[in-house]
Amino acid sequence: MATMEGPSQSFVDEIIVCENVHKWFGEFEALRGLDLRVKPGEVIVIIGPSGSGKSTFIRCLNRLEEHQDGRIIIDGIELSHDLRNIQVVRREVGMVFQQFNLFPHLTVLDNITLAPINVRKWSRDHAEELAMTWLHRVGIPEQAAKFPGQLSGGQQQRVAIARTLTMQPKILLFDEPTSALDPEMISEVLDVMRDLARSGYTILAVTHEMGFAREVANRVIFMDAGKIVEENTPDDFFNNPKEERTKLFLSQILQH
Amino acid sequence: MTESITQIQEPVGKRFNWEIFLQDNITGSWFQAIWVLLLTIFTISYAISQFDNLPLSTGIILGGWVIGIFMVVRGELSLKHSRLSRWLKNNLISSISNTILTLLIILVIAFSINSIWQWAVVNANFNPLETTPEFRTEEGATWGVIFGARKLLMTGLMAPEDSWRVWIALGFILVMWVLTLVSGRPKLKEKLKALRTVVNTVWLLSPAILYLFLAGAPNNPYNIKLMLIAEVGILAIYLLLWWQKVVQFYWRSFIITALGWPLLYTIWSTIGTSEFFPPINVDTWGGLLLTMIIASAVIVLSLPLGMVLALGRRSEVYGIPDWIVWPVAVGAMIWGFTTTPVLLETSRNLIERLLAFWPLLIFGVAYILQRAFKGNVVAGASTTFIEFIRSVPLITLLFMGIVMAPFFLAPGVYTPKPWPVIIGYTLFASAYSAEIIRGGLQAIPHGQFEAADSLGFNGLQKMRFIVLPQALRIVIPPIVGQFIGAFKSSSLVSIVGLFDFVGISKVVIANNEWLGLRTELYVFMAVVYFLGSFLMSSYSRRLEVRLGLGER
Repeated sequence: MATMEGPSQSFVDEIIVCENVHKWFGEFEALRGLDLRVKPGEVIVIIGPSGSGKSTFIRCLNRLEEHQDGRIIIDGIELSHDLRNIQVVRREVGMVFQQFNLFPHLTVLDNITLAPINVRKWSRDHAEELAMTWLHRVGIPEQAAKFPGQLSGGQQQRVAIARTLTMQPKILLFDEPTSALDPEMISEVLDVMRDLARSGYTILAVTHEMGFAREVANRVIFMDAGKIVEENTPDDFFNNPKEERTKLFLSQILQH
Repeated sequence: MTESITQIQEPVGKRFNWEIFLQDNITGSWFQAIWVLLLTIFTISYAISQFDNLPLSTGIILGGWVIGIFMVVRGELSLKHSRLSRWLKNNLISSISNTILTLLIILVIAFSINSIWQWAVVNANFNPLETTPEFRTEEGATWGVIFGARKLLMTGLMAPEDSWRVWIALGFILVMWVLTLVSGRPKLKEKLKALRTVVNTVWLLSPAILYLFLAGAPNNPYNIKLMLIAEVGILAIYLLLWWQKVVQFYWRSFIITALGWPLLYTIWSTIGTSEFFPPINVDTWGGLLLTMIIASAVIVLSLPLGMVLALGRRSEVYGIPDWIVWPVAVGAMIWGFTTTPVLLETSRNLIERLLAFWPLLIFGVAYILQRAFKGNVVAGASTTFIEFIRSVPLITLLFMGIVMAPFFLAPGVYTPKPWPVIIGYTLFASAYSAEIIRGGLQAIPHGQFEAADSLGFNGLQKMRFIVLPQALRIVIPPIVGQFIGAFKSSSLVSIVGLFDFVGISKVVIANNEWLGLRTELYVFMAVVYFLGSFLMSSYSRRLEVRLGLGER
């Protein structure tokens, strides 16, 4: 069993390998040949203007969207039409959504333990113990018996994070986790994310929180029009970006 | 402009303003004036006619009405309302037309209650032995028919010596109900866990138990082949569910599943051999018994079938690719057209000649499958079934069930009428349930599916744990409406020759003793149907509240 403090160990050099990934929505080409290699424990922040395909890209990584060309290999397993592969991959890749997507008909504790019990096949006691540990870590153990509708946005998102982490995934995908939150609730979620980034999880986060990117990211990726325009360390990325497009984008978002 | 503003700014209600009062009530517009005038004329004439009938009670109502108006007017003029006058002003006497309507409605209600009371109680004859015409009066009901015909109304033409079995079945359901309610109480829930398991298991077995009481077990020899074939099927389904991770493998559940059917079959055939519950001719079922059997069978069966159809219609499985569909379709067409010359030779008229080109239909089906459903056979079949059933009247389906049942059976085998009727009616109800459930499924936000996917649930788990619990809760009001409809529309089976609760009334009023006592019977039926429907709808409201926890 994995330790509580960090993610379970991975035995591959590159936990995510994307080669020339293409994705079309009908006529519209959303992803135009992406290449990305991620080592275990890396924290990567993806930024870019809206419609640049960054959400689509990380949704391809657990096959919520299907890529049509190129290869995506997660922890040594290639994503293909084989449903078994997809389910194995999804167990190891946790995702946190912009809209939380908690199950409104279940209590917080049931929300968290449903997948560990039925997908991981853990015993209820074990799953609940782990769930409570994670609720403690995200700071809301007292909400376990409530329903999602009774929580604030920030609390809901922290439950969603606990739900994802109780599955003991190796990779965490964050799809704009703070965009649907009121400003005063953003920091409570970012604190949890920072904590996770420092405990060795492999993280891919689509976010507009530049502070978060500066602080914990190993790499920052800038996407535009379905392509990776620039890939850099946070320091270089924010202080002396190479590409013109990046400079333009940064000047636009840093103006206000 | 300035005038209207000053009007609004004046403190309202400080003094009674005749001008505004008249404008609000009569002179505001021409149709308002006409409406008040017509209402007044009608109410006056109605009150006068009732005054001739019942001067005392009409007088009391009129007096009360005048006092009420007086109280409101006094309160209004003196700007001091008592609690009663304020309530009257807010609810009954708020404007001229409402005041008149209040009087009219009170009069109508009072006199209809009075005449119903007179007919149903005061002048009624309750003696079950005095139902023949010489005991009847125009002014009173002859309730004796309900008691006298109770056997027909409850069980129809069933042999009276079998009635005890119906009583046992009824007692069984009542006991089960009480046990369910008791064991489901929040306080006792933890203590009575074992009882709840037993109750749930017996509920699962209850169709078989009720069938035993109401239809009986035939004295057939033990059929080892049938037993084994069914056993293999059950094990195959269990393994399939286990493989698909719908159920978890436990030795206990596996042994129960594996041994359950042989055990039940043995018990069943032992009961049959013992002839303790000899078979009853189910064609003799009738009255309320038949209505309840049909309604509950249809309700219980149509919900799961509807769920399957709804999921089927929304399924997004990978379709059959073009390169399989078209060669197969073309091959089938060529094979079909090889029979065409024979058909053309034997044809006698234009229609028969056109029939020779039936293989073109294969092309049509393949085209629709590929174009409209992208090769998804599951969605195509479900949609076709739902749309076909919904575009055919229920009566047609019932007739089809009865007339066409022999085509599906070996020659000489007779099916008792209730079975094809229940099957046809279930198909009908399930198509409607399917569309209701599909509505519920569509109301589930896409994010729920994505969250379930991202946590690694497989398709069936996703439906079982996340989508269906939410969708079914949403559809409780319309699906219960559909159930109530199924309960009431079951009276249509009288058209295909079954004597259900409504159909049996024809038998009752054809009887010399009760000739023509329609009104009494129909009032009684209305009461029974009301009780059944009201029970369902109030239970559904409780269920909604219980399942609505946490739903905002």
